[in-house]
Amino acid sequence: MKRVPDIAGVLLLAFFAAFPLVYTGANYDYVMHVLITAFFYAILASSWSMLAGYAGQFSFGHMAFMGIGAYATALFCHYFYITGEPTGTCTEFGFFGNWFVIVNPIGVTSTTLTQDCLRQAMAGWGDSVSVTPMPVLLGIVLGTIAGGLAGLLVGLLVLRLRAAYLALFTLGFSEIVKATISAEIDITRGQAGLELPALFENGVTVLGQTYDKTDKIPPYYAMLLLLVTCLAILAWLARSRFGLFVRALREDPDAAAALGVNTTRYKVYVFTITTAMAAAAGAVQAHYVQIITPNMLFLLQMSLVVAMAVIGGIENFVAAALGAIFLQIMLEVLRTSFTIGGVEIDMTTWRLVFFGILLMVVLRFFRNGLIAPVIARFRRAGMAEETVAKRRAGEARP
Amino acid sequence: MIHLKVNNLHKRFGGNHVLRGVSFEINGPELIGVLGPNGAGKTTMTNILDGAIKPTSGTVYLNEHRIDQLSPFEVARAGLGRTFQVTRSFRRMTVLENLYVPALALGHHSQGQGLTDEAMEVLEFLTLDHLRNEYAQALSGGQQKLLELGRLLMLDPDVIILDEPFAGVHPRLMEVIYAYIRRVKAAGKAIVLISHQMNAIFSLSERLLVLNFGELIADGLPGEVKNDPAVIEAYLGSDEEHAV
Repeated sequence: MKRVPDIAGVLLLAFFAAFPLVYTGANYDYVMHVLITAFFYAILASSWSMLAGYAGQFSFGHMAFMGIGAYATALFCHYFYITGEPTGTCTEFGFFGNWFVIVNPIGVTSTTLTQDCLRQAMAGWGDSVSVTPMPVLLGIVLGTIAGGLAGLLVGLLVLRLRAAYLALFTLGFSEIVKATISAEIDITRGQAGLELPALFENGVTVLGQTYDKTDKIPPYYAMLLLLVTCLAILAWLARSRFGLFVRALREDPDAAAALGVNTTRYKVYVFTITTAMAAAAGAVQAHYVQIITPNMLFLLQMSLVVAMAVIGGIENFVAAALGAIFLQIMLEVLRTSFTIGGVEIDMTTWRLVFFGILLMVVLRFFRNGLIAPVIARFRRAGMAEETVAKRRAGEARP
Repeated sequence: MIHLKVNNLHKRFGGNHVLRGVSFEINGPELIGVLGPNGAGKTTMTNILDGAIKPTSGTVYLNEHRIDQLSPFEVARAGLGRTFQVTRSFRRMTVLENLYVPALALGHHSQGQGLTDEAMEVLEFLTLDHLRNEYAQALSGGQQKLLELGRLLMLDPDVIILDEPFAGVHPRLMEVIYAYIRRVKAAGKAIVLISHQMNAIFSLSERLLVLNFGELIADGLPGEVKNDPAVIEAYLGSDEEHAV
């Protein structure tokens, strides 16, 4: 019985791995897009579950770290190039016969030929000079590191904060990040959004099959791989002394410290690791959608991640991930309007009401979420009987 | 040899002078009882010893290492462990996991059968072995007290402070706590026992400290302390007060 969740997990993974190859229904690209987005939210919900559910650090800044990852790779890919010749107008550094070029930040007009220093130079060069953009993968790695470093900083700042104070602090941090991105129009292009190269800009060939940059299959597997990697890391952490200590930190930080746990260190660790995961998800998602705006940091987005984790089960990161996938699919399914007794129910509006009701029902009647208790039921199967049997055996002893 | 030296501890919370120059030493595996009416400063002294709060002035040395400016986890690793007056088990963790925390925090153990065996031995001693996979929140108040004591066995400190270990405990479980104290003492540890249960503290302690209004008013053998006029006055009030 205890192996049932493991077997179910393997089957579910096999299902998602095979799905793009076997799905022959309608709206293929749309269905793939829904699942890619679901995986994106699953990474956010599961990493937030480790932070809030395991470690008890109720941060409302998780989407800010996601945004930091997304903007870090976006700015990196948008502003940095390697050219064979100096432009003469951009900020640039020579190295090994090439030039590292930093395009001038000139805001929403940066794509016009008259103001963009690199494009002006390229117009003069024709095809005679190579211009190489930064590798997307490097951008994603840098985005992940940037998010993790920001998490480290926030983790250090909130060491003495608990409960509502921690939530408010991280909420404030999130708003500061959003406001800064919105305000720095010259660099981030504000609400106009920052365009990014595709995840696989030059397409990709796998087993003789070539996919171009608009195909959904490569980003589907990229996001699924990232999700599985994050879940594997979280599983490893949860089963190690790290998982034990952060749960002790959640239960009673003073008692944990009195038993020798360096609570400060583990609080910072859990912030750094989970925010790096959020940033990685943000970076990959940004290259998938190819344009990002500060709107992705809206509080509503954070509320959605929290709701996904709560509905799945906040104290189990797998349940939180499954909750995110379930909810994302359900929110799309509920878009379909229908008619009852001649009255048309416009689900574009009402689906959010259904979502709210589901959340309230879960909070009221299923405090541990809908999925986590099912997993726990299998994991802890037979334990109550074992306790009773051992007690009786103890009583029978002379 | 175990040596705890508390030297001239003062603690003020604003205008409230809670500890007033408390000094004492523990040499070797002594069992010391600490008595005092409510507000005498017992819990404040315990919190200073375990690093939860810093003294306004004064020093604490454990085995020649100064510990009064250390964090609680550093104090625990230096060799001083404590229980809490109100039980603080990790309620949503299993009984076994509660015991793993201190053992792994010290870094002397790795996860595996050896750790489980050691934890099971402790649970059997505390008569909690049948509950090993239950969440701590499922345990009774007395069983949670025992679980706290079990965590200290896994931490294995040189000095153990037991803060009201008998409060609200069933007589049958009290026998387990008595056995626990004997076991810890036999292992060569020093025990500081804080309790309002006079019978227990007088019967168990080899030496008694009495605090009153933040001052150490007595430090001696139980028989001597029992007849100390200052102690009698602290607990029963002066003749003048009785007359009033």
